[in-house]
Amino acid sequence: MRAINAIVMRNLIKLSRDGMRLFFTVFMAVIFLFIFSFIMKSSIAGLDHPMNYLISGIIIMTVFQTALNNSMGILEDISSGFMKEVLVAPISRWQIAIGQMLSSAIVAVLQGAIIIVIGLFLGLRVDAAHFILMLGLMALVGLTFSSMGLYLAALSKESTAFQLLVTIIAMPLTFLSGAYIPTIVMPRILLPVVFLNPLTYATSAFRYVALHMEGMSSAALVKAGVAFNIHGFVIMPALGAVLILAIGVVFIILCVNQFTNADLSQVKTFRHHGPH
Amino acid sequence: MTVNSIEVKNFSKKYGDFLAVDNISFTVEEGTIFAFLGPNGAGKSTTITTLCTIQEKTSGELRINGNDVTSQKSLVRKDIGIVFQDSTLDGKLTVEENLKLHCDFYRVPKTEVNGRIGFVLDLVDLSDWKKAMVGGLSGGMKRRAEIARGLVHFPKVLFLDEPTTGLDPQTRANVWEYIHTLQKQKNITIFLTTHYMDEAEICGTVAIIDHGKIVAFDTPYNLKKKHTSTTMKIHSAAPEALAGYLDARSMKYRRENALFTVLSTETKAMLEIVSLFKDAISDIEIAKGTLNDVFITITGKEIRQ
Repeated sequence: MRAINAIVMRNLIKLSRDGMRLFFTVFMAVIFLFIFSFIMKSSIAGLDHPMNYLISGIIIMTVFQTALNNSMGILEDISSGFMKEVLVAPISRWQIAIGQMLSSAIVAVLQGAIIIVIGLFLGLRVDAAHFILMLGLMALVGLTFSSMGLYLAALSKESTAFQLLVTIIAMPLTFLSGAYIPTIVMPRILLPVVFLNPLTYATSAFRYVALHMEGMSSAALVKAGVAFNIHGFVIMPALGAVLILAIGVVFIILCVNQFTNADLSQVKTFRHHGPH
Repeated sequence: MTVNSIEVKNFSKKYGDFLAVDNISFTVEEGTIFAFLGPNGAGKSTTITTLCTIQEKTSGELRINGNDVTSQKSLVRKDIGIVFQDSTLDGKLTVEENLKLHCDFYRVPKTEVNGRIGFVLDLVDLSDWKKAMVGGLSGGMKRRAEIARGLVHFPKVLFLDEPTTGLDPQTRANVWEYIHTLQKQKNITIFLTTHYMDEAEICGTVAIIDHGKIVAFDTPYNLKKKHTSTTMKIHSAAPEALAGYLDARSMKYRRENALFTVLSTETKAMLEIVSLFKDAISDIEIAKGTLNDVFITITGKEIRQ
């Protein structure tokens, strides 16, 4: 526990010192908010809470992106040599994996929370109970995708390969999740991909909470693009959240396994430099 | 009774078809300084990384304080401190934060953390730099911080992989002073690799590895005795008599007029010459062979510097 805590604290301290990165994450989120509120004006025109609809998509995207990208940290640790110090310490590999995962999830949730706060000034309406629910969902999404990111990072072992992998995976996941483009306006042929995309359920569950849709019937939810009717089987937002959790668990296991078996020391062991 | 801190028995390591370490065995006694020397690619790093549990052996048995490095990794890791060749500090944290993190990893009792950090930073003269970012320190300071970190959990065995490479002579001397202070204060075993032969001279035992095999294992003194000759330069007032004496005993020497350079592994023979010709000797210089000579004799290579 102490080791996990130490890893989390270390990553948070480092982030808090990285003023540039902090500034840009918030800055990017704000830009997204403005740009998308213009672009999507038409597609959200008929909705009750257009700002809630829009912001919930952006929040979940930010949490997703941050969680995925923060896994880059371990690649930096490998190339700077710091990973060696961690690997020879009397701590288990799974503790390292969980520590890294938790810290990127925490950062992702914090970033999401910042956007919620900014959103409040732009017309987002949330009460305390919904805010807590939103935080919970963000934590779930953050954990799932940071474990996915960490798995990809441990798999690719170098930053260029990792970035490529993230781009290849993040792009389709983002655009086929309904976060920016409502799933109800998507061509039918894309729907199978939409239904396989974990982000779809992350977005819909989050929207369900953000848009206060608790009282709606399942048919109405399907129509709003928050529940999904797959050949008669309806995936409600709550089930969607469970799916995210399941995917998260799978990736955590994969990731811990990858960390335990991968020889992360090799990256540095043979890279000697010096006067010879 | 002597206790062995490090025991290596029939250790081999293969990378594919390449045999990096070929069936080596050695032991290191507790509380001693052990130097592991060898040309590049001889198997030094392979041995040290296997002992430090970051690499798996192909075969053999390696133990630290009686614990197996393969099956008892956690126990081994708790007992060892490592200072790597390349910095493994987190440059974006302060010296103190790096050490604290290390204490958390090694489960140093929380009440002792601050005291120990103060102690090791004192030892390496970095107390004033506790709050400084590691990234902004000079090379020598970083190395000292790294040594301090390697010690803060009070390891029983300290591995130093070229601890002084790239340091200026002054800092090198300081680092060595710290190593000695430490060894005396805490009776820890030190396993080091180095490229500087003068550093190996002050170690208790020296092992030379070449092509994956240990080719020499002894005290620096014995190694020099065995593999090098003593050179004696004599300026003699009676050169012919001396030449006759040396020829009669078929000793190796070079002569430039009255200046004789005599080579011998026998100290006694040298002393006899001195006592016999002491009245005729106007100048004398005796030089023992160095470890560098030993290294060249054994491996046929100059150690890289």
